[in-house]
Amino acid sequence: MMKSSFFASASALCLGLLLAIGAGSQANAAAKCIKGDRKAPYTIGWANIYSVPTWMKQTQGTIEAEVETLKKQGLVDKLVVTDAQGDANVQIQQIQSMIDSDVDAIILIAGSSTAPARVLADACAKGIAIINFDSLVDTDDVTAKVNTDSAQWGDQAAKFLIDAIGGKGKILILNGPAGVSVSDDRRKGADAALKAHPDVTVLAETNTPYNVAPAQEAVTSLLFANPEIDGILSLGGALSAGAVLALDKQGREQVPITGENARQFLELWKEKGLKSWATMQPNWLGAFATYTAVQALEGKDVPAFVKIPLPVIDNSNMDQYLARAADFPADGYIYSPYDEDLFKKLLAGK
Amino acid sequence: MSTVPSAGQAGALYWPVQARRNVGVRGLFAVVLAFLFAYGFLFPGLLTASGFAKFTQSWFPLALVAMAQAILMLTGGISLAIGAMVSLGAVIAATTMTGPLGVAGGAAAVALTGLGIGAATGFIVVRLRLPAIVVTLAGSFIIGGAALLILPRPGGAIPEWLSDLLAGNTPAAFVVLVLIVLLWKLYLATPLGLSLYAAGENPVGAYRSGVPVDGARIAAYAISGLLSTGAGLFVAAQTGSGDPVIGAAFTLNSIAAAVLGGIGFLGGQGTMRGALAGSLLLSLMISVMFFLGFTPVAQYVAQGLIIIGAVAIPQFRKVQQ
Repeated sequence: MMKSSFFASASALCLGLLLAIGAGSQANAAAKCIKGDRKAPYTIGWANIYSVPTWMKQTQGTIEAEVETLKKQGLVDKLVVTDAQGDANVQIQQIQSMIDSDVDAIILIAGSSTAPARVLADACAKGIAIINFDSLVDTDDVTAKVNTDSAQWGDQAAKFLIDAIGGKGKILILNGPAGVSVSDDRRKGADAALKAHPDVTVLAETNTPYNVAPAQEAVTSLLFANPEIDGILSLGGALSAGAVLALDKQGREQVPITGENARQFLELWKEKGLKSWATMQPNWLGAFATYTAVQALEGKDVPAFVKIPLPVIDNSNMDQYLARAADFPADGYIYSPYDEDLFKKLLAGK
Repeated sequence: MSTVPSAGQAGALYWPVQARRNVGVRGLFAVVLAFLFAYGFLFPGLLTASGFAKFTQSWFPLALVAMAQAILMLTGGISLAIGAMVSLGAVIAATTMTGPLGVAGGAAAVALTGLGIGAATGFIVVRLRLPAIVVTLAGSFIIGGAALLILPRPGGAIPEWLSDLLAGNTPAAFVVLVLIVLLWKLYLATPLGLSLYAAGENPVGAYRSGVPVDGARIAAYAISGLLSTGAGLFVAAQTGSGDPVIGAAFTLNSIAAAVLGGIGFLGGQGTMRGALAGSLLLSLMISVMFFLGFTPVAQYVAQGLIIIGAVAIPQFRKVQQ
């Protein structure tokens, strides 16, 4: 009797140890920051840096749609949204509040690539899944980062434009705001192609917010100063729309220009019969980040960095994009279609 | 309202005078207290050492810039360069402290830059008689540009131990803030400090009475600069790095906090405790509204209503009296 109970407890102990080892190795396979102690349905915190721009509203739309889908599957029960109104310090405070209220996942567009590092380390230590997309942080204390490649964006745009103007000519370069990583990275990406073509002269560069009006103003004053312009390397969709409008208002001939999937720009592209090329920062990055957070919480391994291939719009497929224009706001972005299969493929392609 | 207790007054007069200076901001104090209780109720973790530490850390830089703005507004000045100064302080700290200068050298560089730029701005405004709003607006471009030159994109580093000390799980930031407030009290007892209110409220009268008006105002600009770059140093420590545009929002927030705290635009009116309470309210609102589950749009509206409420309620009382 004694012996058998001893045997039973010993084997139970062995079994327990085995289970523990099994669980341990499973924990190793789990994604970063995940401890496995959080159970569905999850609360998702969406730490937005600035909710006013249309791109952000559309992105939030894809997040809300994804949360609805996940709610139906019983995986998510609540979405908490904060808006830092552009202030990186406020965003840190809001992420701290999310930690304090014990959300299960934080999805984040960072207001500064460095500032949230310490608060994210705290969140990661508490087992909160952190998916960072669009504007990325430098720290590795996150579950996953999701983005397109800004340098590739700049490189492809520069190559298209140089090709379109026949390898030589005078161009303008339109950038986003100075000191912002996305804008810097796109510009840097364009450097190699520009250096390889010494016959391409850069007349001037602008730094404006990603809005039509300031870009139009900046290009208008450059047009007065430069009677001869062969092409415009624009590294943002609203910037391109502003440039096209500026050329139009001045009665100047349209020149080859690069751009983004801004609806206004695509419509101008069609209307003015431009020779153009555009890519996009797909708004569904938000939906994908939400999906990835839940996958990670469910114990699936997710890659530390998911690089989203840049969808390209050119004269061959722009009509397909414009055909869906009515589904998007007039000042919004016509993003490429997405579904769960695409998300699965992106997560698997590590 | 703006009576400064002079050294000669009897101690018995001190508290009644201080109480009278509170009249305009009693409503604000009540609102701040209500928010503090609400926050503690919604998030009990606030009462733990680390919860209190994290909360005071998010308030601290705003408290410093509110003081920096208040001291200028008390002399009848204003600064639109506060945000740029915060950025500059942050990038100087993040680029020097892990280099050969070390933490002490880096902190000295931050302090000297703040004092120097502040004093220079003060000199231009006071001696050349140029409008402060124009000088500091131009200054904000120069200073912001300098920050971008020092650190073109976010980066740099702050020693880990300094970050943990100032922005870890201990309320060190709160202790520093208390020390700064005590220093402010001491400063008000010095001749320059005593001149501050007089120079703001009635510069001509003060000058005729032999008050060093120009000196007091230039000193205010220098101290304001020091507080701003100091806030930048703290932000760098809090975030572990430097960001050349991190301070941008502080300019407007510092003015909002000071005005909310009852500091008048015309100089000589208001108290530092009011400005501090104003900054505390701005910081509290963000956290409390999060815990109340307000959507961002509702937060915009609520923020506006609370600010109007805190400023207007005491005015209604005054009208009724």
